[in-house]
Amino acid sequence: MSLLRLELIRLFRTHRIWILAGIFGFFGFLGPLTARYLPEIVERFGGGVEIAVPPATPELAMAQYLGNALQLGLLGLVFVAGASLAFDAKPEMSIFLRTRASIGQIVAPRYIVNMAAAAGAFLAGSGIAFAVSALLIDTPRVFGSVIGSLLVALYLCFAVAVAGLIGGFVRSVPGTALVTLGALIVIGLIGLVPALAPWLPSELIGAFDALIAGGPFEYWRSVASTIVVSGAAIAGSIVVLRHREV
Amino acid sequence: MSDYAVTTTDLAKRYGPTIALAGVSLAVRRGSIYGLVGPNGAGKTTLLGVLAGLRKATEGAFAVDATRVGVLPDTPTFDPWLTAYEVVDLALALNGPQKGAAAVDSVLERVGLADVAERRVGGFSRGMLQRLGLAATVVGEPDVLLLDEPAAALDPAGRREVLDMVAALHGQATVVFSSHILDDVQQVCDTIGILDHGQLVYEGTLDDLVAGRRQAAEYRITVRGSAGHVADAIRSREWVDRVSVIDDVVVVTARSSDVLERELIPALAEIEVSIISVAPVRRSLEDIFLEVTQ
Repeated sequence: MSLLRLELIRLFRTHRIWILAGIFGFFGFLGPLTARYLPEIVERFGGGVEIAVPPATPELAMAQYLGNALQLGLLGLVFVAGASLAFDAKPEMSIFLRTRASIGQIVAPRYIVNMAAAAGAFLAGSGIAFAVSALLIDTPRVFGSVIGSLLVALYLCFAVAVAGLIGGFVRSVPGTALVTLGALIVIGLIGLVPALAPWLPSELIGAFDALIAGGPFEYWRSVASTIVVSGAAIAGSIVVLRHREV
Repeated sequence: MSDYAVTTTDLAKRYGPTIALAGVSLAVRRGSIYGLVGPNGAGKTTLLGVLAGLRKATEGAFAVDATRVGVLPDTPTFDPWLTAYEVVDLALALNGPQKGAAAVDSVLERVGLADVAERRVGGFSRGMLQRLGLAATVVGEPDVLLLDEPAAALDPAGRREVLDMVAALHGQATVVFSSHILDDVQQVCDTIGILDHGQLVYEGTLDDLVAGRRQAAEYRITVRGSAGHVADAIRSREWVDRVSVIDDVVVVTARSSDVLERELIPALAEIEVSIISVAPVRRSLEDIFLEVTQ
């Protein structure tokens, strides 16, 4: 058995893959569905109150998917990634691996599998949202949907890298997950500074809606910085874990 | 190649103000089974952790001269969703010679887990986990094994099996084996090191340890008739340190067993008494251990 296979087994036998797939898949259906039937829902349950509802469009359907799925999906992802990457949480368990393989050998498959799971689950959810939107409303822009989804998938990979780095400092799984979530929120808040915003990974989330709405692709800076910072986070986690005592 | 597989020189480890190891210098001969004994908190696990590369020494140096090192923690734990077979298979794949499924089956058979090889380890008892840990450690055929209390959680039969496995490694691999169960150490180790408060207070063979503590030797003499009369007659001899009568048995203490072996029998022969038995008081390893660590 290889360490890559170990991580794949972990993902399936602990049902973590189904948590991610379930969240993104569920909202993939729900986003277009609520966008299509929101006027009827408001009319039925509004209690006579006049509420202005935007018309059902493919852009709204995809935006509903992203808005709903990303909140819960990101929460699920930081716990899934934390459980895998904070591998010193149980020292007796980590001794088994640490005395048999290098830190790089241990963490590489964990990053690969968690990033693939996060990106795959999100892209599957996007695919579902695209298909349901096409069935119920209209077909969203293909280029914007594909590129926008890939950019959000890249952001989720960045979130996994941050979880790995935090896992090098924080031993417990809940601690790693919560600090990671806090770090991602802080990075998002830095985007309030206009000069920095184009460089931030969180800019990739906004790209989803903008590209589906037909906006131009102007995210090279955030793509580059996300890749660089993710790589640095992975390298940093290896250095930190190498120096940590068990 | 050096005669010693594991050496430490003035090894020290501190956790803030707490001293876990205070200048430990030991040498483990290649192919030997070295018993690391000491009371709880003596520094055994810390020392093994440093040798395994899991903890960093504050001062001093150490060397583990081996291609493959196997480490067994005192409470081995594995991902609960792995089967016993998968744990050993993973261990073999990571740092063992590529020998395939037969090697995994064989080692699981040796530790008595063949019947549960396909069961997930989440339901295993602590004893089963310890056997599995040992299987995962030996399957890679390491040159040096660092075993922390490998038989601590096992029942008597399981302990016997594990000790037999460890004993079988003699000459094939170098084993550093920590334990607070002195009987286990006595059974399998040819060399021991006694740790106390982070210091190595004794290192050598068991025979030397026992012999070295025979300085104050004791003999028990059972006689027919008055034990007090015999005690009085012997007490006056200049080579005697102490004589006491316990339950009609005379206990004679002298400064060394050599003196007692030479002088006691002639002295008894001079006393008109019927002797039932004369026997040295054998001091257990536990007695010696307590004496060394107190």
